[in-house]
Amino acid sequence: MNINCSNLDDLLFDASPLSMRTAAEHAAACAACAEKLEAWNDISATAKSMQTAWQNDLLWPRIERALAKEIAEGKRRTPLRGFSRIAAVALLTIGLGSTMWFTMREQVRGAKFNGKIYQNSAMDEVEKAERDHVRAIANLQKFADAKLENTESPLMVSYKEKLMLLDDAIAECQVNIDRNRQNAHIREQLLAMYSEKQQTLKDVLREDPNVSNQ
Amino acid sequence: MLQAVMTIPMTGHDTSAEDRRMAAACAAGDAKIFEELYRRFGDRMKSIAWNHLGNAADAEDAVQETFLKIHRAAATYSGEASFSTWAYRILVNTCYDVLRKRKRRIEETSMEDDEGMTIERPTSSVDDAKRMTLRKLLDELPEQRRTVFSLFEIEGLSHAEIGQILGISEGNSKWILFSTKKELQEKWNRTRSS
Repeated sequence: MNINCSNLDDLLFDASPLSMRTAAEHAAACAACAEKLEAWNDISATAKSMQTAWQNDLLWPRIERALAKEIAEGKRRTPLRGFSRIAAVALLTIGLGSTMWFTMREQVRGAKFNGKIYQNSAMDEVEKAERDHVRAIANLQKFADAKLENTESPLMVSYKEKLMLLDDAIAECQVNIDRNRQNAHIREQLLAMYSEKQQTLKDVLREDPNVSNQ
Repeated sequence: MLQAVMTIPMTGHDTSAEDRRMAAACAAGDAKIFEELYRRFGDRMKSIAWNHLGNAADAEDAVQETFLKIHRAAATYSGEASFSTWAYRILVNTCYDVLRKRKRRIEETSMEDDEGMTIERPTSSVDDAKRMTLRKLLDELPEQRRTVFSLFEIEGLSHAEIGQILGISEGNSKWILFSTKKELQEKWNRTRSS
């Protein structure tokens, strides 16, 4: 298979035996990729050696005792059964909840209002930047899609699969962000996915469709 | 007496009916079914917990806590994932709880903390220094990334299983593994040479 250094990540992402063999063949003639691949394989080999086992004959008896105790206690402390138990829990929750709600409402109302304005305005800016970024990637995708549809080379097929996986992951991430706009970690993850998608689309556009990669 | 063991059984591949039978028996507090669970999945559970918590004592506590949680929650088992995957999900969340509670880094507890334990690992040419390096790098990762890496690379679970354990899609698990390994790859040579 005829590949260049920019294809190495795609092969590692695919991680199939064929991709790893292709990566190794390329690395044999490329020092920079050889170093990357060596670290990649070294990490995997080290990880595999970290599966840990030990025997402790006392652990199961300990768990068994804890379970027996828990089961026995569970049976003893169920004077309220079924509906009456649920009703008691619900009443208690409503009682405690409303007391706390009334107490806290006045204290947080002012601060929350001001804080929310600043937070929303910051979030709006972040989301606007994201929308611009997504629009730019969508434009790139239009060109890449045309190229991807016109070729069936294994490399292009692997690009297609990678883009599909990224789109799935982006959609899932987006759902999580919709649930919690302020989660910076998920936003970072989403940004990383978009960057990867952008890079992949660029790679597709750079690829010469006439080069055989088999 | 603590002894070494060499093998870890593969993930249980249960039928749905078998899984529901196990869940019902766990909910009913059937001691035999818990013992069966421990026999089938205990070693892997300990390994997963060890690789999250860094020492055998905490790993064993997490496994014990997981069994209690399985008993409490078995009635809610829906059968969407296999019972073993569901149990691993509880275990991973238990490990997260332990990590948050103790608020200290895994690297503070070293293998020497497993006093009296004979820790066994698959036979390989990998030296302890590399394992220490990788543990240190894993410790710097966010929880989810570390878990995806551990479950795939260390425990050998599939992306489908990891997706079910963490409540993410298979594709997302694959993506997280790739981006995590890429991050580790960049740090690996730098850390190893220093």
